[in-house]
Amino acid sequence: MAKDPRVTRIEDLPGPKSKGEMDEMKMPYEEYCKKLFDVGNEHTKPIALKGIRWLSCTMYIFTPHSVANLAELGAEVIKIEMPRMGDAMRHTSPFNECYLYPLHDTRPMTGTGLGFTNANPNKYFLTMDYHIPEMVDVFYGLVKKSDGLTELYRPGTLDKWKMSYRYLSEINPRFIYVWGGGFGYGPKIFGGSYDILGQAHAGLASITGMHEFMGGHATKQTNWVIDWQSGNLITCSILAAIHHRRKTGLGTMIEFSQVQVPTRMLGHTLPMYGKFGIVRQRWGNWDTQLAAHGIILCGKSDFPDADNPQDKFCARYVMVSAFQDEDFKELCAITGMKDLFDKYKAHKDRVEGEAQVEIYGALENWAADKSRSEVCKILNDAGLLAEPVRNDREVYESPHFRERGTVRWLDDPLFGDMLLHAGYSCGLMEKTPRRINWHWRPVGADNKKIYRDLLGVPLTQIKEWYNKAWI
Amino acid sequence: MCDIIWCKKEVDGKECDTINYLDPYCFWNWEGTINCAECGTVYYIHMIQGFMYKGPEERPGEEPDTSPLYADKPFEGYANYRPGVEGRTRPYECKPRSVLLGVADMVKFSIRGRPVRGWRPQPPSAGLAGSFGFNWDIQKLSPEIWEEYQEKMAKGEVREW
Repeated sequence: MAKDPRVTRIEDLPGPKSKGEMDEMKMPYEEYCKKLFDVGNEHTKPIALKGIRWLSCTMYIFTPHSVANLAELGAEVIKIEMPRMGDAMRHTSPFNECYLYPLHDTRPMTGTGLGFTNANPNKYFLTMDYHIPEMVDVFYGLVKKSDGLTELYRPGTLDKWKMSYRYLSEINPRFIYVWGGGFGYGPKIFGGSYDILGQAHAGLASITGMHEFMGGHATKQTNWVIDWQSGNLITCSILAAIHHRRKTGLGTMIEFSQVQVPTRMLGHTLPMYGKFGIVRQRWGNWDTQLAAHGIILCGKSDFPDADNPQDKFCARYVMVSAFQDEDFKELCAITGMKDLFDKYKAHKDRVEGEAQVEIYGALENWAADKSRSEVCKILNDAGLLAEPVRNDREVYESPHFRERGTVRWLDDPLFGDMLLHAGYSCGLMEKTPRRINWHWRPVGADNKKIYRDLLGVPLTQIKEWYNKAWI
Repeated sequence: MCDIIWCKKEVDGKECDTINYLDPYCFWNWEGTINCAECGTVYYIHMIQGFMYKGPEERPGEEPDTSPLYADKPFEGYANYRPGVEGRTRPYECKPRSVLLGVADMVKFSIRGRPVRGWRPQPPSAGLAGSFGFNWDIQKLSPEIWEEYQEKMAKGEVREW
């Protein structure tokens, strides 16, 4: 301690006394990350979008997902659904099997399908038939107290109802308005959209799948990737609009065409056409820029006796990567394809189409009497990158996803034990992490909370509206 | 594009005349025997990179390794064998899981043995205008499931993962 108590000497302070000592005291990087992100304890930290209130007149996946991102980050998102029915997506479950109950008081035998999952977490569920004249003022009341709205009607529908941006911005100049839909203005303005339509219209499906001479076809991704990705991109725009509003005090309108999203995912495809006139072709499970760098089929399943066809027949694919000369040499050595290495020593030779047909054919012949895990082990032991193509069950059992909290269980307050895989897959945040509080709630579950607590509507009035099916 | 075996076998004095379609995904690199969906004649083929390297050659008396995906008789109208016709075309394995019910599948417990509200009917909302509280007290509202859950826990059937 210094003689003068007002003097603070560095040696009296806790912590490292020199740069070297500081480096010594630092925990290993992995430990540091674990402590920093503290997976599993997200709810003890603040939320990022506290104070933002967003309205959502959306359905299916694409636009609901754009606001689900906000809700996961802590915004108060109010989803307005059709009275008694709710979002059409609630009735679209996989194979009409996977339901959670109940849906609504007036539909005791109907549930919400799991297809509704991931696009609607943490939201508050309000019912309102906002297009009837009696409810327009109530809708405006919500607009006055909210930061923004996302809607997905055919272009001009809300304009017809006097609820488009040009009307709402007069009520609330800070209001941010998002239209998300199929084509947007232009030649196909009234065209609705589906994920598959986007994949087709913007050319994504034309470069997915194996080439036709290999038995492939232009292929869509099984899941609705364009719906999910479009939602993400709208969220980016919303966050930018919120930032812009902080600087200017003014809201804005975002017009988002879903079918344009795949063009952002096409990489060098269009610039290549622009420069050379080359129309890119599909190359399926292989790679046009790297070889060997693709997915091959092995002869034996890892689970030949399994009941589930995904295990029994499809646990046979392996991703293999050995495109550097040294790696390719090793790959050829352990698979007995030395002549192929002699033939394709240079990467520019083996990346050619004909060479890839020969290389992957030879690799599949080598793997024909092996299982997926045998192939992985042989290649990994040789220092090469090889990963099995996993199915859902294997993802669930993977320690990687479990340790990082990507896949985890949620004790949903209304629906019980549910497995999560989306809310925690968007990157970890130290200070204000995303979180899932609930998967969804029944149709109109928050009517009283919003109408009475937020808008001050008396209970008798709410009851009357409910009986008239206005809400 | 996929290769075919056009069966010209004489059966009862008449040509079989059936086109058996070889699904390219399964026959890209393949050697073995395959039956005609109509008359059952067994053919041997050897395909390399989608090219019919050998065959089709008749192999009478041999058991087929597999069947065509689909077959039709274009010169006799629209008669065909869809995928999954037993003994004629390949079993249709394109199922999303081992058991496909196609009807609402009621569950009361998740795969790790904890209660999940996947059955009906459920008690109605307690609130006004369909409003729900934020917590569902399973012990109070579904006591039979709560009992079953306690038994499962006692038996060690409830897992962490």
